[in-house]
Amino acid sequence: MSDPARSSIRFTLNGAEVAAQVEGSEPLTDLLRDTFGLVGTREGCGKGECGACTVLIDGLAVNACLTPAQEVEGRAVVTIEGLAGPAGRLAPIQRGFVERGGIQCGFCSPGMILAAQALLERSDAPAEEGIREALAGNLCRCTGYVQIVRSVERGAEILREERRRDV
Amino acid sequence: MSGYGLRRLPYRRPSSVAEALEERLGSAGARYVAGGTDLLVRIKGGVERPALLVSLRGIEELRSIVVEDETTTIGALATLSEIGAAPELRARHPVLREAIRGMASVQIRNVATLGGNICRASPCADGALPLMVLGARARIAGRGAGEREVAVEELFTGPGETCLEPGELLTSIVVPRAAQPRRGVCLKQGRVRVDLAFASLAAQLRLAADGETCEQARVAAGAVAPTPLRLARVETLLEGERMTPELLQRAAEIARDEVRPISDLRASADHRRHISGVLCRRALERILGGRGES
Repeated sequence: MSDPARSSIRFTLNGAEVAAQVEGSEPLTDLLRDTFGLVGTREGCGKGECGACTVLIDGLAVNACLTPAQEVEGRAVVTIEGLAGPAGRLAPIQRGFVERGGIQCGFCSPGMILAAQALLERSDAPAEEGIREALAGNLCRCTGYVQIVRSVERGAEILREERRRDV
Repeated sequence: MSGYGLRRLPYRRPSSVAEALEERLGSAGARYVAGGTDLLVRIKGGVERPALLVSLRGIEELRSIVVEDETTTIGALATLSEIGAAPELRARHPVLREAIRGMASVQIRNVATLGGNICRASPCADGALPLMVLGARARIAGRGAGEREVAVEELFTGPGETCLEPGELLTSIVVPRAAQPRRGVCLKQGRVRVDLAFASLAAQLRLAADGETCEQARVAAGAVAPTPLRLARVETLLEGERMTPELLQRAAEIARDEVRPISDLRASADHRRHISGVLCRRALERILGGRGES
């Protein structure tokens, strides 16, 4: 007999179909870190305030620490490990952070980058106000945010350049 | 905060309202959970200790937003992001959209639901105020056949308490369409934008053709009483009157008097009273200045 506290789920994780056993109301942070070893998803506050655990679910930024893992059944989850392209080529938003010094200690960076990625998926030319709005749920204790905003602007610029080259 | 406690908490994911009611009533200590952005934090912090979570997120019928001639029906499980982005709602109930845009972060708005916001019955529930001034009603499913309806403002009975009976489930929120144009504003004061409000206020007016006589007023204040509060004395003062600067000043004084705040870590009672008056005057000025959403 199967354990009543365990459920089997199937979902897409960074582009690959996966299956997993989930215990009770286990949060997605635990599933990603402990079961899949994807420790780029950070747990900071565990209360949905710091945004370090931000992942994309069907393209929307959410706090993994407040997402019961069972809720990702049938959905597409993207973590920081899934953002780079083939052969590890960094995504435009990641290159923006590297070029503009948006990373200091790095703890907030995966969540910050994924929250910014969700924004860029809707608009590749966001205004500063829109960037700050999109990142209001992500805390950084190092940078003072200015470099992060510049990083997102640079990431958007790289994305636009790539799109122009592609057409 | 580790999620290990949550691993021992059974989680069910029914796909219909009937199944959800059955799960909830079948187990003492079961709780419904919608977006979970508040309840899961309270469980992790040991404030709530349910024996079972019954997730409503798999119930498709609760997610829809239906716009009809006379009413807008917002499923209890529609997320704040979905409601904020719905173009029909933007045009029809801008005061609701204004409130939602001031709520929490993108990550939270992507999962938090309007139904969850009002069922949590926090005195500072940002979703409650626009629904109260819009005259919205809550549709509730329970053990018996059929659904019952109550005005959203009657839902709240105390801090964190609603008139929902055990097992009852909010299914949707019905917002009437105003017959004549109205202008509304939703204002919020907190330490930072994403924080909870220590005082908030929504106002909606129907103005006469002269643009300055108030025919109908609806004003509600948050975080300043055990429940979100309609400011009935302010409304009575305004109705039938020309909206002169003196009247607005008087409305602010009455608002200060009518709220019943407490002091807590976010603000003192005195400060909340003062800010309630400021928000009242500011909201009315914005509406009269044409800066209120119409």
